[in-house]
Amino acid sequence: MYKSLLCWRYLRTRYIALASIISVMLGVATMIVVNSVMAGFSAKMRDRLHGVLADVVVESYSIDGFYNHEEVTERILEVAGDRIAATAPTMETFALAKWTVSGQPFTRQVQLIGVEPESRAKTGDFAEFLVADQSGERIAPSFEISEKVKLNRPVGRLLQEARKNDPDDLIGAQILQDQLESEVPDHGAIIGFAVGHLHRDGKDYAIAPPGTRIGLVFPSAGQGKPKPEYDDYTVVGYFKSDMSEYDSQHVYIPLRRLQYMRGLINERGRGAVNAIQIKVKPGVDLDALARSLQGELEKLQPNFFRVATWEEKQGPLLAAVAVEQSILNILLFFIIAVAGFGILGIFSMIVVEKTRDIGILKALGASTAGVRGIFLGYGFSLGVVGGGVGLVGGLLFVEYINPIESALSRLTGRRVFDGDIYYFNEIPTLVQLSTVSWIVGGAIAIAMAASVWPAQRAAKLHPVQALRNE
Amino acid sequence: MSSVQLSARGLWKSYRKGKSEVPVLHGIDLDVERGEFVAIVGASGSGKSTLLHLLGLLDAPDRGEVLLDGERIDNVSERRRDQFRNRTFGFIFQSYHLLPELSALENVMIPHMIRFGPIAYLRRRSAIRAEATALLERVGLGHRLTHRPAELSGGEMQRTAIARALAGRPEILLADEPTGNLDSETGHGVLDLLRDLNRERGLTMMLVTHDLQIAQRADRIVRLAGGRIEDWAPAMA
Repeated sequence: MYKSLLCWRYLRTRYIALASIISVMLGVATMIVVNSVMAGFSAKMRDRLHGVLADVVVESYSIDGFYNHEEVTERILEVAGDRIAATAPTMETFALAKWTVSGQPFTRQVQLIGVEPESRAKTGDFAEFLVADQSGERIAPSFEISEKVKLNRPVGRLLQEARKNDPDDLIGAQILQDQLESEVPDHGAIIGFAVGHLHRDGKDYAIAPPGTRIGLVFPSAGQGKPKPEYDDYTVVGYFKSDMSEYDSQHVYIPLRRLQYMRGLINERGRGAVNAIQIKVKPGVDLDALARSLQGELEKLQPNFFRVATWEEKQGPLLAAVAVEQSILNILLFFIIAVAGFGILGIFSMIVVEKTRDIGILKALGASTAGVRGIFLGYGFSLGVVGGGVGLVGGLLFVEYINPIESALSRLTGRRVFDGDIYYFNEIPTLVQLSTVSWIVGGAIAIAMAASVWPAQRAAKLHPVQALRNE
Repeated sequence: MSSVQLSARGLWKSYRKGKSEVPVLHGIDLDVERGEFVAIVGASGSGKSTLLHLLGLLDAPDRGEVLLDGERIDNVSERRRDQFRNRTFGFIFQSYHLLPELSALENVMIPHMIRFGPIAYLRRRSAIRAEATALLERVGLGHRLTHRPAELSGGEMQRTAIARALAGRPEILLADEPTGNLDSETGHGVLDLLRDLNRERGLTMMLVTHDLQIAQRADRIVRLAGGRIEDWAPAMA
């Protein structure tokens, strides 16, 4: 009983112990904050990546693709139909985008993806990322060119004005209407948000507003030399996944049109695709599925297909985040180790300071184990208090990290977390119970480990020598 | 009727100072009877504190034996030794040696806290507290229960220490210069208290002092010089 009483009193009266508590607290809080941010970062990034990419993708090595995608899909479903929720054929190729807005020409290198929007939407979060403009208003996964989009063109605006000002001038309106129809290409395109917008000073400026006629140059397919093909499209919406890699590169157009323009529709009217996107049912092991599909497709056509899970497609990025997190953790663990040595030093001092008390306790019949228990318990309480306060502080910091970030940004005059550099506007966080308990448990263990040696020294003190110390 | 309670048989003790051994006690033989009040006097370095430590099992002799009621106790296990310190002996020191973080009352309760495990202690807690309070009242500190040692005067601290020494209901009280840090008036007050307790409770009392005037109040004076008992005589009083 005297052990806990003395621990408690030492904790309350030895202000020097506060230093160890603070160092444990800071270590724990830092580790919780860093881990939560990194976990949030990687979780959110995986989320986004996974949203854009289908679970598993079957690609051909050639960008000219294959005509028998129906058979391939059938074969895939035959092998693993029970594990697959949906499939969608797509055609991906490189392209150059050219367009002019208010006399200003723009050119972008893009990744052109021919899709059937309905089926593509079933194999991922594609549809969730489609917006009409900066307002973020969602649109349906379709390339249909609505009247509203058409009227957004300069001629369209003239037409609207003419209709309003002079509703009886039907001929004038018809001329404008014809002009508009002739200007608008037949096929719609959904372009990456960052392709169609400039981001400056925290604001987005549309450089390819809805209705813009956008020209795309892409390679033709076939046996001979690839030749550039040119085709016009009307911007009907934007793809905004908040992953800058995708938003600044992707351009979606109707699959059939791309097949036609690249000369990839055969005499039987079948179009070629170079990828099949697969969405699997929940709980399916993606890697196992990819392996079994790869094996099966090898039988169909050797060395032609490549089956990859979304994680494999983004492997280096995900691995980089994981490596970063583990290195940071190792480094941060040193912080707690430093706190541990702090406790060791401070404890040794306290033992010297309390030598007389130890002598008294022994004279009153306290055992060696009892005296050791006081200091072990003291170390434990320091760890618990420091870890506890650090836990609360760290969790509060994580909870309010975005207000703290903006306050810091205002204070220092520069953005601490720049949403343009990273993929996110806000600092993402994810508190994992297992990580947090490891951190707090580890801190307590280190505090206790650091108190073992001083406690042992205290316990070994000879009562007479301890008491002579006056 | 008198009976020998605590005995020393040929106690030798020396301390190591660097490479040389400094002999302190050279074969001490001493018998203390139950309820006796013995004063040990001697010059500084005569080994009187060391003798007290050996008798109270705070230290172990190099040679010789310590007997309690005829049984040897200097060679028992560490656990038994802790129990003897806790139950049989009560210590009083020159510089009081109270625990500064605890109140007077808690200081007096410490021997019981050490004796019992947490659960056993908590079960007896109110009785222990009442007993400690009574002891502090007995030594005249009923109004100082919650004070920290730093808030007490020297005499009050020594009285608290005496109450603590009594708390474990010891059979033998060992006092090492209990009045050494006190002015003579306070010192005599403390001594009166010890004397009274000796009579009231039949406590065996061994008191180390270099002050002959203090020693005169004992039943018997043992004079130590050069590590040996020089003579022993009944006190004048």
